[in-house]
Amino acid sequence: MALIVVVDDEFLLADYLASLLIDEGHEVVTAAHGRAGLQLIRERKPALLITDFMMPLMTGLELAQAIAADAELADIPIILVTGGQGLIARDHGDLFDEIFDKPYDQSLMIEAVKRLTAIPRNEG
Amino acid sequence: MVEHLARLTTGVPGLDAILGGGFVEGASYIVQGSPGAGKTILSNQIAFSQAAGGHPVLYVTLLAETHDRLFQSLSTLSYFDNMALGDKIKYVSVFQCLRDEGLDSVVKLIREETQRQSAKLLVFDGLLNARDRAETELDVKTFVAAIQSQAAFVGCTVLFLTSTRLQESNPEHTMVDGVLDLSDELIGERAFRRLQVRKSRGSAALGGFHQFVINDDGVTVFPRLEAFLPAPSIHNPPSSARIQTGVSGFDQLTGGGLPEGSVTILMGPPGSGKTSLGLTFFSLASASQPALYFSFFETPERLLMQAAAFGLKIKPLISSGAAEIIWNPLTENIMDKLAHQLLDAVKLSGVRRLVIDGISGFERAAVTPGRLVEFFASLTNELRALNVTTIMTWEVRNLFGNAGTSPLPDISALLDNLIVIRTEKKDSTTKQLISVLKLRNSAFSPSDFELKFLASGLSIASVDESGTSQIEEG
Ligand SMILES: Nc1ncnc2c1ncn2[C@@H]1O[C@H](COP(=O)(O)OP(=O)(O)OP(=O)(O)O)[C@@H](O)[C@H]1O
Ligand SMILES: [Mg+2]
Repeated sequence: MALIVVVDDEFLLADYLASLLIDEGHEVVTAAHGRAGLQLIRERKPALLITDFMMPLMTGLELAQAIAADAELADIPIILVTGGQGLIARDHGDLFDEIFDKPYDQSLMIEAVKRLTAIPRNEG
Repeated sequence: MVEHLARLTTGVPGLDAILGGGFVEGASYIVQGSPGAGKTILSNQIAFSQAAGGHPVLYVTLLAETHDRLFQSLSTLSYFDNMALGDKIKYVSVFQCLRDEGLDSVVKLIREETQRQSAKLLVFDGLLNARDRAETELDVKTFVAAIQSQAAFVGCTVLFLTSTRLQESNPEHTMVDGVLDLSDELIGERAFRRLQVRKSRGSAALGGFHQFVINDDGVTVFPRLEAFLPAPSIHNPPSSARIQTGVSGFDQLTGGGLPEGSVTILMGPPGSGKTSLGLTFFSLASASQPALYFSFFETPERLLMQAAAFGLKIKPLISSGAAEIIWNPLTENIMDKLAHQLLDAVKLSGVRRLVIDGISGFERAAVTPGRLVEFFASLTNELRALNVTTIMTWEVRNLFGNAGTSPLPDISALLDNLIVIRTEKKDSTTKQLISVLKLRNSAFSPSDFELKFLASGLSIASVDESGTSQIEEG
């Protein structure tokens, strides 16, 4: 059981992923764009962030960069879910722990979530 | 001095001409049409064309459909470029923003995102949903006005896509600078896609309906010919030169052949020799007189075989580029598409000899026969201005006897020359009789001549009282 932030402007995908994760026993909060997502992450310090790439106000890439630049948040693992921008995202592979192209295999997603939330957080 | 507004080109073949050069920069438009009419394919085509030119685009959706579903369907189109996604074109959904925070927040989000992207084009797909959400008419009006004015401020052109047909009295309709109407209709058994610019502020658009197609290259529009070419594109003084037909005896009879830059109708029943005569004229193609055979009936292979039977050597002319055959089978055609294809080919190779075999290929493709006269007027005026000497064949049904009155009398008034072939049957032998009924600015002999099909080519012979004929020697 972990707290996961899901950021996606497309509500169908955000809602679907959220219910999938809730069924796995996680707590999920969602945001509709990167800027709202960043605020949520600062407030809640989740165990994992799953973000879309193309979003208004702040993209998934910009969100990941903002997190990496913030010492308090930098060790939160990030899964990027993209719809066709996989190549741009893979140029910044160091920012993401996993990259999924839409549509993705949900069992692989659950597996990745399990693995990344099992990593003990460095509390230093 | 007349101000010319800066334009955003659409990249959609035919559409810029209809819009008078493209969309007006910073102006806003409604693109409306029933589901499946092509709004999404059209606006994405414009978006990718802008992106390819280096101009950022913001594509905002209010739809339940996901973006990857949209990309999946767009990926079958040649203009779709995966690499532009998230780079020059950004797709964002404001559905949640609208649901959770309302129209005001959507307006604010779009303003910020337009500036962040320095977008030159904003597409807003799902105006209908915005309407459902708005409590009053005034709300949508305020919303459209806000998006429109903030985009105009930064010189960004806006397309609002909606699947409802907004009436002219609709507030959105009155506010935007232009309205593009896409429709998909059935006329008889056939489906037709048509586009109409219903409103166009600040520029003259080509009015009325224009047919378009959707295929793997997206949308191609065929501007209605008589609206596109109300007058010829260039001015050429009429020539007094003659263009040989290659029919032995005929050129002597007509003072050297057909007047240069004239349009001839060659009328006759099936099998009377119209195609043979056309091929003879076509076979005189050369580097200085390129020729085009625009065929609806025979395939290029059959035309070459038929030509070979009269010793006409056309293959080398085609290889050298002096001659070209374009074949459009008589299936479902679009009249304006045919005309644009014909004129483009004529201009591309500087065609001087043209055979259209036959006129009914255009006639059959007409959705509304009422416009045939205007259509042929602009087509023939343009061909004359381009100094093309044209022979159009016209098949008439009655095999024997007098050709009678032409089925389209209004059109024959638009022609310069009229030549008729009829089939005469006497004592079990059939003869083809050819006569000139009209020849522009020329004296000609109105009598009947026999058209002979010899291995050495076509020739004409005079017919005397006894019914025997004499080969005309020039
Ligand atoms: N490759 C293709 N070749 C030919 N036709 C195609 C092709 N791809 C799509 N179409 C046609 O394009 C149409 C879909 O157009 P589009 O999605 O732009 O409609 P729309 O006006 O946006 O509809 P809606 O209001 O439902 O969003 C369909 O009628 C489909 O048949
Ligand atoms: Mg659509």
